[in-house]
Amino acid sequence: MEIKIMKNILDRNQNKASEVRSLLASKKVLMVNLISSPGAGKTTLLERTCEAIGSEFRIGIIEGDITTDRDAQRLKKYNVPIVVINTEGGCHLDSHSISKVLGSFDLDSLDVLFVENVGNLICPSQFDLGEKFKIALVSTAEGDDKPGKYPMLFREAKAVLLNKIDLIPHTNFKPDNFRSDLKMINAQVPLFEISCTRGDGLDKWIDWISGEINKPI
Amino acid sequence: MHEIKIAEDLSVIVLETAKRENLRKVTRVNISFGQMVQIVPDIFRFAFSETVRNSVAEDAEVNIEIVPVKMKCMNCGKDFYVTENRFACSNCDSTDLSIIQGKELFIKSIEGE
Repeated sequence: MEIKIMKNILDRNQNKASEVRSLLASKKVLMVNLISSPGAGKTTLLERTCEAIGSEFRIGIIEGDITTDRDAQRLKKYNVPIVVINTEGGCHLDSHSISKVLGSFDLDSLDVLFVENVGNLICPSQFDLGEKFKIALVSTAEGDDKPGKYPMLFREAKAVLLNKIDLIPHTNFKPDNFRSDLKMINAQVPLFEISCTRGDGLDKWIDWISGEINKPI
Repeated sequence: MHEIKIAEDLSVIVLETAKRENLRKVTRVNISFGQMVQIVPDIFRFAFSETVRNSVAEDAEVNIEIVPVKMKCMNCGKDFYVTENRFACSNCDSTDLSIIQGKELFIKSIEGE
């Protein structure tokens, strides 16, 4: 006999994500889910962002890490509340893990909560955390073919950041290939071409994210 | 590797349903995955078989339907399938689109006795 079920397999994650989203909306906190490969520069981007807007906005950070708290240690100097989630081998965060740590923050005293997801371009794209939007970060050292290989992330992202543009002369990265690949998948997404170490293009990213934090949740 | 977590969540639904329906044996699990979610069927089947080991679903066949990505153009109203990652209307070239299908992680039914 056949028993009809007809439901989303990730229903449990989705339901919890909806709870998280309602809670954050009621507290007027913008949660941003930052997704990239390992080593693309998520933590460095957060460092530059804390330096640029830390006095204007009240920032909180959730650090998803397979193991260790090294990223969190790097961000300590900005005096923003940080909670580490160690996934113990898991390749992504999920809404239950986010929900559990939200209690560690004073949400009434936050404007924005950055979630640094586990470094991976596929798995984190599937799991709604309850964020307002996802940001995709890639670096030139990874090659110019990433949008075509990981269409879901680039299709879903509210903005795309291309980091390490200062390294382009030392790689075979072709900016036009990257831009046309991205345009085919998501023609409307804003692209910020940046170097977190040298500072190129960061002003445009900072203007954009500041504008998003200022929007009503 | 997201296959493992999705397989775990699927096994919870399958085993709960089997228990509620008093099944002695689950023979088949029918699911559909959108093309965009990039599930590798063989890895998924392996992950599922591990999560249901020593249960009524341990010999279940996992029947996976891959659902192609289909969009609706918000400019001219045409529905079209996305091929070769080209997210632009096949009729008017607009990129103002809304997704109709292709992101599913869906359990349709289970079969058993």
